[in-house]
Formats: sequence, C-alpha cells, structure tokens
Amino acid sequence: MGRYILRRTLQAIPLLFLMTIAMFVLIHLLPGGPDQVLFNPHQTAAAKAQLRASLGLDDPAPVQYVKWVTSALTGNFGYSFNTNEPVTTVISRAFPNTLELFGAALLLALVIAILLGVISGVKQGTATDYGLTILAYAGIAMPVFLLGLLVDDIFGVALKWFPTSGTSSVAVTFTNPFSAFVDHLWYLVLPMTVLAIAFIAGWSRYLRSSMIETVKQDYMRTARAKGVGPVSLLFRHALRNALIPLITVVALDFGSVAGGAAITEGVFAWHGMGLLFLDSLGRRDYPVLIAMLMIGAVFVIVFNLLADILYGVMDPRIRYS
Amino acid sequence: MDISERLNLNSATEEEVEPYLEIVTELVEKRRSQGRIIFDRFVRNRTAIVGAAFIIFLFLFCFAGPLIWRIDPNLNNVLDVNSTLAPPTIAHPFGTDDVGRDTMARFMSGGRVSLLVGLTSMLMSLVFGISIGAIAGYYGGIIDNILMRFTDVILSVPLYLLLFVLSASFTDGTPKSVIILIALFGWTYAARLVRGEFLALKEREFILASRTIGAKDFRLMFRHILPNAAGPIIVNATLLIGINIILESVLSYFNFGIKPPDASWGNMISTGQVLFALDPWLILFPAAGIFLTVLCLNLVGDGLRDALDPYMTER
Repeated sequence: MGRYILRRTLQAIPLLFLMTIAMFVLIHLLPGGPDQVLFNPHQTAAAKAQLRASLGLDDPAPVQYVKWVTSALTGNFGYSFNTNEPVTTVISRAFPNTLELFGAALLLALVIAILLGVISGVKQGTATDYGLTILAYAGIAMPVFLLGLLVDDIFGVALKWFPTSGTSSVAVTFTNPFSAFVDHLWYLVLPMTVLAIAFIAGWSRYLRSSMIETVKQDYMRTARAKGVGPVSLLFRHALRNALIPLITVVALDFGSVAGGAAITEGVFAWHGMGLLFLDSLGRRDYPVLIAMLMIGAVFVIVFNLLADILYGVMDPRIRYS
Repeated sequence: MDISERLNLNSATEEEVEPYLEIVTELVEKRRSQGRIIFDRFVRNRTAIVGAAFIIFLFLFCFAGPLIWRIDPNLNNVLDVNSTLAPPTIAHPFGTDDVGRDTMARFMSGGRVSLLVGLTSMLMSLVFGISIGAIAGYYGGIIDNILMRFTDVILSVPLYLLLFVLSASFTDGTPKSVIILIALFGWTYAARLVRGEFLALKEREFILASRTIGAKDFRLMFRHILPNAAGPIIVNATLLIGINIILESVLSYFNFGIKPPDASWGNMISTGQVLFALDPWLILFPAAGIFLTVLCLNLVGDGLRDALDPYMTER
C-alpha cells in the first residue's frame, strides 16, 4: 500500500503539469479579455497599451504560459489583475472561509447521513423509510437558493436565532479571543446547515441502498447468531461493508471544496472561493483563475487517492497491483 | 377455510373452479427465465408500481395535456394588471407569471423539455459512466489508472468555466446539444461509483466460481458483477435527473438550450427565484414537478434494484 501511495503521488506531478496547460488554454479561450473588463473606457489608447504590456498580455500565449510556470515553480503565482495584490493574498482571504464552511457542513452531513442511511436501510419498506425517502428527495428537488432564503428568513429574520449574513459581528471588538470565536461560529450555523442538507439528502440515499444489500448477507446472520448486539451489528459489521459507495461520493464532494459553493456563499454573504471564482471569471482575472483551478485539481486528486486508500482499509480484499 | 365454503366451491359452476385450476397449472409451469423472474418481482412491488404510474401520469400531463389545456404557454397579457402574478384560480389552476402567462401551460411545455433532457442525459451519462467504471474496476492496473486520471481531469474543470468558453464558439442550442453537453460532464460520479463496486465485487467467491467454469471477461463484467452494483447506480441515476433538470436552466443562461420565452422547469425556477417575494406560486409548481419526477423514479429504481437482488428469496 505504501508503494501504491508513493506511485500515485509521483504520478500526480506530471498530471498536474498537463492540467496547467489545459487550464491555461481554457482560460485564454474565454470570450473577451481582461482588458475589456478591467480598463477604464476613458483611458487613451496609449495608456491601455501600456497597461496591457505591464500585465504581460502582449506576449503570445505560449510565452505567457512559460513565464507563469517558471514563476509558479518558485512559489510566485503572480498578481491579481483586479486588485494588484499577490494571488496568494487574494486566495488566502477566501480559502479559509470556504474550508471552514465546507469542513463543518461535510462533518455534520456525514454524521447525519450515516445515521439516516443506516436507519432507512435497515427499516426498508417501513413508514420511517418512506418518510426519510420523501424528505431526501424534497431536499434534492429544492433549489439551493430557495432553501437558503427560507432558512435565512425563518431562523435569521423571523426567529432571530442566528445572524442572517456575514462571517462575524461588525463594529464589535472582542477582548477575549474565545468569545470572538463563538461569535464567528454563530455566523457559521445557517450557511453550514443549508450546505449540509444537500449532502445529507444524497449521501443517505447511497448508504441506504448499500445497507439494504449488506444486511442480507450470510455473515450478518452468523454475527447475530453469535450474539452480537444490534448496534455493534449495524455499525461495526454491516456499515463497514456498506461504505464503499459512500466513500466514493463523499470523496468526490470533498474534492470540490476548492470550487466553493457559490449559491450558499452568495445568500449568506460568506466570502469564499465560490464567489471569488465567479468574480474572477467575470473580470477575466487570469492569474487568480488559474491558481484557483490548480488548487481545485490538487483537491480532486488528493481526495480521490484518499478514497482509493480507504477502499482497501474497508475491504482488505481490494488490492492494487 | 371453512368446510361449508369448501362444499360451496365443489358445487360451484365451471367458471368458479377455474382459478383453482390456474394455480395448479402455475405450480407445474416450467422454469421461468431470469428476466421473467425479475419482471414478476417488479410487478409485485406495490410502491414501484405506484411510482411508475405517477411517472406515466406526469408524462401524459405534459405531453397530452396541451390537447385539452389549449392556452398558448407563451401568450402574455401584460396590459391587464389583474392577470399578472395571479395566485391559482379556476381560469389559471397554477396561477400566472409576471407577464400574465398561464403557469399550467408553461408547466406542460416546460415539463416536455425537462423530462426529455433529464431522462436522456441521465441515460447517456450512465452509459459512459458504467462503461468507463466497469472497465477500470474490472481490469485494474494501468487501464484503471489511465481512466481514473482522465476522470480526475474532467472533475477538475469547473463546468461554469467550460460553458463560458463554449458559449463563444458553440451556438447550436437544440435540446440535443444540451443533452450531449450535460452527459459529457455528468458521468464522473457514476464511473467512480461503478469502479469502486467492481474493485470489491471482483474479489468475491462467486466471480472466482464463474471464472472457473469458463465465463469470459465481458460476461463476468456485465452479467455477474454489474447487477450486484445496481444499488449505487440507481441512486446515482435518480439524483442525476434532478441535477440535470436544474443544470439545463444554467445552460440556457449561457445561451445554450431553451431560450426564453420557451419554458423549462429549470428556467421557470430560476425566473421564479427573482420574484419569490412577490409570488411564491411561480416556483412551487416546477419545483414540485422535479420533486415528483425524482421521487417516483427512485421508487421505480428501488423496485428494480430489489427485483435484481439475488438475495431476495421471495419470488
């Protein structure tokens, strides 16, 4: 297994390199260029030409690519066309927010989805199962935007339980870092819940379907005959064997962290990667865009590798030659 | 059974004895084919049949409904203030939208597009996903590695970016091109799910057993392993329909797909979102359409999964 992980990690390097080329080409194929979005229409042609030259937009695309790669290898990802800040600064402003939102939502969703999936799978065909099925598909059919607005209206505006938007209280200075943290968590609750609902709906369905198959296996009857208690039977014997589809899907959804969740972020004014990506896409901010795409690719590769490793942990019969 | 009833039965006429005879013929009936067993089990599953009936009803409502409900879905009525954003009435059972168009007529014409796009793009994604996942999981090694790294690449490209790029050069907005576009990016989850199941299932004893009696790769893959991987595939299929119906409306934002004033459930929802505070009815009906489609297809899918399940002893 150690060799397998090492090999996959080494493979990731040329793969990422190929991806930089593909992403660079895609970005440069975007209709309209940064100059059409960024430049002041009242600027003289000479000023525009000067600005283009200073942003390096006059070089042919392959030259731009080589320049980007050589500087990226030294850790310099360039400067945002929009704010002139280093790309790393722009991204490090948005990324922790998204990571926090996704991390919290995914953990919450994982716990609830496993519980609901197991219950639904074991009680297949009962009223509980149908109730959970209907709820899950209501969660899937409900547009995220609408769900966000409803949750915001009910728990934020009407009941005033949680703040409606933002990441922390404005114009309040906390002397105690702990109370600042609690204040921040308070803002996290609603967007986290909205994001988690969509994950719960999908994940619990995958787990339900594999639990239905697992509980019918012979070794389950053997375990029960040996006197294994119901909780241990379900969560240690059955769940482990039912987890492969869930691991696949959870890893795929974790892998999309770097893309953010633009709709949820928009509803709750949670400034994360989703909003930054749409903003940079609209402004044709090439350096920020390509850096974000590469972070996204790294996350996809890492989480799919993790899923492959976990398959082997859950089912030791799975081997990678 | 009561003795008096038995006596009654014995003294009954020929027609009443017949059901009894039928049971006997069924008992001596020769062995049913596997497909027949699966079909019989499916038909006996009541919830699956209810789901199937609802789907047929939705299709009839959207495809045959306009024969009865003859209001033009694109006929607007802006000049009459009372006829815009109206709640459901007898004249307009689903209400009207911001320019006075009848929501029920739009639900029907939009449903035709959304059901068509959702179902066909889901089927295409599944065909891609299952083929790639099955080959990768079954053969493993370098084939698996190449196919899965390709999947990683597709997963890494954000759909929005690609749509922006394509919208510049690609202007064919027929439903056919929308379906292909959605399917080209919808197969990744199915591929990874199927591969994961194949990795685990190919090590099971029953695969070794069929290999021992000479089953070839293709037969092992699609006849022995795939039916056992039906669970996650069916869940993925039902989720994909919901996602694809919504995605269609995102596409039309980028100038693919259905262009206003033509309706689809997806674009009815996205325009309804803007007017949600004024008239929540606008979003309710298309969202309910998607909900019913996804829910009922899932019931059908679950019935199919149960029917395919070799551990199901009840025939």
